[in-house]
Amino acid sequence: MGSEARKESLRYLFDRVVQPLGYKFTPDEELADFLLEQEVKLEQDLGAPFCPCQGRTGVRAEDMLICCPCIPFHREHFDAMKRCWCGLFVHLDVTDPDSLPQFPPDEV
Amino acid sequence: MPDEVTVYALSTCPWCRKTKQWFDDSKIPYEAVDVDTLPDEEQDAVADKAYELSGGRRFPVVVINGEVIVGFSPDKFLEHLKGWGG
Amino acid sequence: MTGPSWVPTIDDARVRDGAYVAVYPKGLGVLLARIDGDLFAVANKCAHMGCPLEGGKLDGPVLTCPCHDWRFDLRTGVFLDAPELALATYPVKVEDGKIHVEVGGA
Repeated sequence: MGSEARKESLRYLFDRVVQPLGYKFTPDEELADFLLEQEVKLEQDLGAPFCPCQGRTGVRAEDMLICCPCIPFHREHFDAMKRCWCGLFVHLDVTDPDSLPQFPPDEV
Repeated sequence: MPDEVTVYALSTCPWCRKTKQWFDDSKIPYEAVDVDTLPDEEQDAVADKAYELSGGRRFPVVVINGEVIVGFSPDKFLEHLKGWGG
Repeated sequence: MTGPSWVPTIDDARVRDGAYVAVYPKGLGVLLARIDGDLFAVANKCAHMGCPLEGGKLDGPVLTCPCHDWRFDLRTGVFLDAPELALATYPVKVEDGKIHVEVGGA
């Protein structure tokens, strides 16, 4: 599968996952496109679409917690920011994603 | 004494790019490292350093005069920069 | 239009307690699992990225997807880390020694 096609499949697959959790793709199309492209590359290189903004440790149990969409594993933190860490997903009511702050979980 | 700024980043992360761009635009010199593009033998050590500083695995990790800020957060950058009220 | 249809699959004895077997009633991927003696049927397709769940480790009622380790309770289909997400579940019954799965109207 080509990268563009895989990007579209990830869009479809992830949309089904994040909607019931109260999230949607960021309305910032350029950002969404860039992030999905990174995830496709990470999936091609490492076997899973890991978060482009979180580091891996090489420990499977830890790394799978940042496999996109990682919202279920960081719910309280992401709900407080109304976005996920990399910003690919935002709460359903968000129209201006640039206004959302990015802060670590210990500041929730 | 000028500000000492280090940015630990991932090449895949747009917020890391925005962070570097912010320091560029603010004309504040900084050191930056894209952890994921380092040679394998260096990558683990630098990643571990960033994880230790930040207490997590989230990027960017910005160190300003010894203070650690996690995430793209210009307000917090300003707080810790001398001459900007920090 | 027909109503819900029960489709015969494998012999009841084939599904051991604490284990699961993949079957394909009408071509649909289904896992039949026996947990504490009771039979359950769920979609053989992870709610995350659609990976086949077959091959995943079953620990009590919890099946871990072999792709990215998402964990599901096979008694309800529910994803352990976010109950809003779940595997499709199907009614099952045993008739004449065979497990029948109801896979909906055809």
